[in-house]
Amino acid sequence: MSSSDRRRDRPTRVRTVAVVTVVTLAGAAGVGLVSAGLGSTSASPPQPGASAAPATEGSGATGPVLPRSTPVRVVVPRIGVDAGIVPVATDDDGALEVPPLEHPEIAGWYRPGPAPGQAGNAVLVGHVDSPQGPAVFFDLGRLRTGDTVRVVRADGRTTAFTVDGVGTYPKSRFPTERVYGGGAAARLRLITCGGRFNPRTGSYPDNIVVFATAVR
Amino acid sequence: MKAQSILGTAAVGVGLGALLLPAAALADTRVSPATTPVGGTVVLTTTCNPNAGDAIFRVTGPDRDQNVRSTTAAAGGGLSAELFTAGFTLGTYTVAATCGDGSDGGSATFTVTPIGGAQAGAGGRDGDTGVLVAGGALAAGALAGGAYVLVRRRRRAGATA
Repeated sequence: MSSSDRRRDRPTRVRTVAVVTVVTLAGAAGVGLVSAGLGSTSASPPQPGASAAPATEGSGATGPVLPRSTPVRVVVPRIGVDAGIVPVATDDDGALEVPPLEHPEIAGWYRPGPAPGQAGNAVLVGHVDSPQGPAVFFDLGRLRTGDTVRVVRADGRTTAFTVDGVGTYPKSRFPTERVYGGGAAARLRLITCGGRFNPRTGSYPDNIVVFATAVR
Repeated sequence: MKAQSILGTAAVGVGLGALLLPAAALADTRVSPATTPVGGTVVLTTTCNPNAGDAIFRVTGPDRDQNVRSTTAAAGGGLSAELFTAGFTLGTYTVAATCGDGSDGGSATFTVTPIGGAQAGAGGRDGDTGVLVAGGALAAGALAGGAYVLVRRRRRAGATA
């Protein structure tokens, strides 16, 4: 190769180096952005352990039964929950309402049923997550038998409940009787979504239910 | 003594009454299932004697006070009727039965609940679509650019060989 050939090749080599540099930088930036975009998705909510919910209610001594009073706050120390409560009923389809997604930090109390502390099963429902990330009951699946749930009522009294068990149920086989039934003792049910989110249907397939009983 | 025997007779009468009363109060009412999602059907059953005529179930609850007449002789004796809960307000209802002869047929409660579980989740934070698209475009561009450089180099090598 003559010296004139080398001079002719120099611009081409410079161009190649530039193209390779741009391609490398673009590739690295692209991979970085893709991983950053994927990394911004939420983790899956915790699921209850293999210990299923108790098949029957415990027969031990239960806490005092109180008159009706609206619940205003729910506190679950194990999972760091200290949340306000709004009353809910059912939507047009007859399904249990949930608090508005714009306020995922709030729990809902099923007002047609008993109040926490009253005889029967009081039901609190909360979102597991929202488009903003984890919601009030995200960690409900981490609760275990013996954990404490406290509900502060409008009359100033607080009812303490002990967790009897935590179960996961397909929404199509929701344990209606175990959740809404109830007897003379004051019991509590906490409900949220569970399972693996299905983006096609836009919903979770299961419900996680925490069963608890008032204690002294 | 006479007073004593009267007392004794009265005591026997009270004793017989005590024995007879539970027999009269044996009529019992059940609702199955005791909890139903709104729109479900519950079966009301009383142990009233069917020979005394139809029983009437009085259903009272949050916004309801209605009578339901028994329609069927229950399989195990007694009388029953079906109650469709469409349009019922959520809550607990009391069913008090009166037998055909006017006697108390017992009472029971049932609860009308929401249907199914709760839609309590939205799938969490969405992946940042804009960032993903930009990243994908950059990565694709880099691949195309790399391929272009390789093809050019191969062509040049072929031309000089």
